[in-house]
Amino acid sequence: MTGRAEFIERIRREVSKTPGLFGASSAPRPADAATAAETVRRELAERWPGALERFRVEFERVAGVFHRVPDLAAVPAALGAIAREYDATSLVTWDPAVLGFDAAPALTRGGIEVVAARAGAEDEAARLRHREQAARARVGVTGADFVLAETGTLILLSGSGRPRSTSLLPDVHVAVFGRDRLLETLEQVGIMLEALHVDPDRAMSGATINFITGPSRTADIELTLTRGVHGPKEVHAVFVEAP
Amino acid sequence: MSDALLRTPFPERAGAALQDRFLQEALRIATTKFIDLRKESFAGFPQGEALRDRAREIKEATLQHLDVHLERLADNVERVGGHVHWATTAEEAREMVLRLCRDRGVRMAVKSKSMATEEIDLNEALEHAGVTPVETDLGEYIIQLAHEKPSHIIAPAIHKTKGQVAELFSRELKGSFEADPEILTAVARKALREKFLQADMGITGANFAVADTGTVVLVTNEGNGRMVTSLPRIHVALMGVEKVIPSMTDLVVFLAILARSATGQKLSTYTTLVRGPRRAGELEGPEEFHLILLDNGRARQIASTLREALYCLRCGACLNVCPVYRQIGGHAYGYTYPGPIGILLTAMLKGNESVRELAHASSLCGACKDVCPVRIDIPRMLVELREHLDREKIAPWTERVVFRALRRLLLSPTAYRLSATVGRWVQRPFIRHGRLRGLPLVLGKWTRTRDLPPVAARTFRERWKELS
Repeated sequence: MTGRAEFIERIRREVSKTPGLFGASSAPRPADAATAAETVRRELAERWPGALERFRVEFERVAGVFHRVPDLAAVPAALGAIAREYDATSLVTWDPAVLGFDAAPALTRGGIEVVAARAGAEDEAARLRHREQAARARVGVTGADFVLAETGTLILLSGSGRPRSTSLLPDVHVAVFGRDRLLETLEQVGIMLEALHVDPDRAMSGATINFITGPSRTADIELTLTRGVHGPKEVHAVFVEAP
Repeated sequence: MSDALLRTPFPERAGAALQDRFLQEALRIATTKFIDLRKESFAGFPQGEALRDRAREIKEATLQHLDVHLERLADNVERVGGHVHWATTAEEAREMVLRLCRDRGVRMAVKSKSMATEEIDLNEALEHAGVTPVETDLGEYIIQLAHEKPSHIIAPAIHKTKGQVAELFSRELKGSFEADPEILTAVARKALREKFLQADMGITGANFAVADTGTVVLVTNEGNGRMVTSLPRIHVALMGVEKVIPSMTDLVVFLAILARSATGQKLSTYTTLVRGPRRAGELEGPEEFHLILLDNGRARQIASTLREALYCLRCGACLNVCPVYRQIGGHAYGYTYPGPIGILLTAMLKGNESVRELAHASSLCGACKDVCPVRIDIPRMLVELREHLDREKIAPWTERVVFRALRRLLLSPTAYRLSATVGRWVQRPFIRHGRLRGLPLVLGKWTRTRDLPPVAARTFRERWKELS
């Protein structure tokens, strides 16, 4: 087995043999990522309507279904309607504390069971239970940490109260978000990612970040586009108007 | 790739592909569709050209300090509790995975599509060690069940019909399934869902690894990359050393052009950033994360002919536009990486000898360079590779003698003039329908697969003389 020192030394030796093909530098990074991120947010606080419209167009282009509700109080009804559309009798959701709303009371009254992840309850039993529930549920409800207009993409950080499988195992994924999550370009996403990683252990409680652009798809059999090969067959985005 | 296939000379492998009418049709449809999708996607993306230049520059800049970036990557992966392994050879990489399987009692491993694991023949090694590898990308799953190899970097099963897939699934998964892509995909979803939930280990490649944060980045459309990195208790990522990039700012540059080049999408459905094993507060994710950094012939090209091939993003765009690939498909190349870039990567990984024939499987038309998202000058390297083959006496002696003679001829005006006169005379019996065909002796090898224009009745020089 090769050790690290030996391996790196070999690479270093090869690297030092040549000046390279041409003078080159990697992409210029924001000097102060936190400030750059703040600037982007401030700009978007005014420009969000344009970003939202672009998101809707791009999201629908990748077969996403877009909804718009006036405020958080209207979210459970919207989720109920989506659940009924797919004959779902149960939903799995992120922790209500993370989502900012609790759909359970309203939906339970309507006969739909809500299974919510709980931050702080992360033992082995909870793990297996959650996985089983997520695999059985037809609908998974999450938030979205960034919403990228340019490509119609939902960006989700995993972590405490934010299981990875909620947006992956159910047939239908619903992401609920407000105007403060909107970004216009991949370049802005780059700035946000830089800012998150200034102190990643504090900024994120999980190990993964997922960019989701529409439902799971494949064209591996005769190039016929087919949805839901592994992940969700349908992706919904619910935009909450009230700030 | 099986030795039996490689024992067949390339012209025969290519010839067989040309006779396969279904393959011809499948290749035509697939490559044309990919070309159109790519073109359309870049047409509506004016900043694309500048981003391609930027991406190329990042790759070059990273190579200039590859040692530094790799150390940084390793430090950051270890800081979040991941393990880093260094594999100089394919054998070492295989042995590391096998040892992990042995030590951790792994019986089944689910895999998301990874050219690097194909490159080191990991599946065979796992099977041999009693571990069941399950490919989970639908295309890879199909060819694994069929005991075949991928024929395209991003569409591994384009050579199979839905009828063949239905037959295969019906036999292997014990059922009776209609030849409908929708139904067949649902069948695979169900079968593979069970595997995801049972497997002890998830094995992936990496499209990128961000040194600054210790993040491995996976791009998929199906979501299998997410499954493989979320459900099993161990995640092993295997990547070539050239996949490292410095920062998140660099990452988004590549994301903006990768899917556009591969499938014409703005972004692939899923881009997954993985930073080590699951964190303390997380309900799901692997307990263990291992990153294997693979050299396997890459390092020695940093300061050599094939340096630029280390920029490759494995998008497959150069395959689709290549007039040779479009005719013969991926299998005829005989190795893991097909197409124009595949010839260079094969030379890199297996040595120049292995591409003695393949180095000529290109018309040097330059279409590959035009579509490459990082503008790799593939034709230049192919020419240099041919030069090496000649200098190292790897090329067949006939070829070397002919080209040496040709060189003499082209360097001397007298000899050139004389050859035109003699050629006009000698060629007579071999002209059929206005082309040179069926030349005798070693020259026959050339005309067996291609014809030549005959020497003209009057050369340009002769006509020029008359004009003045």
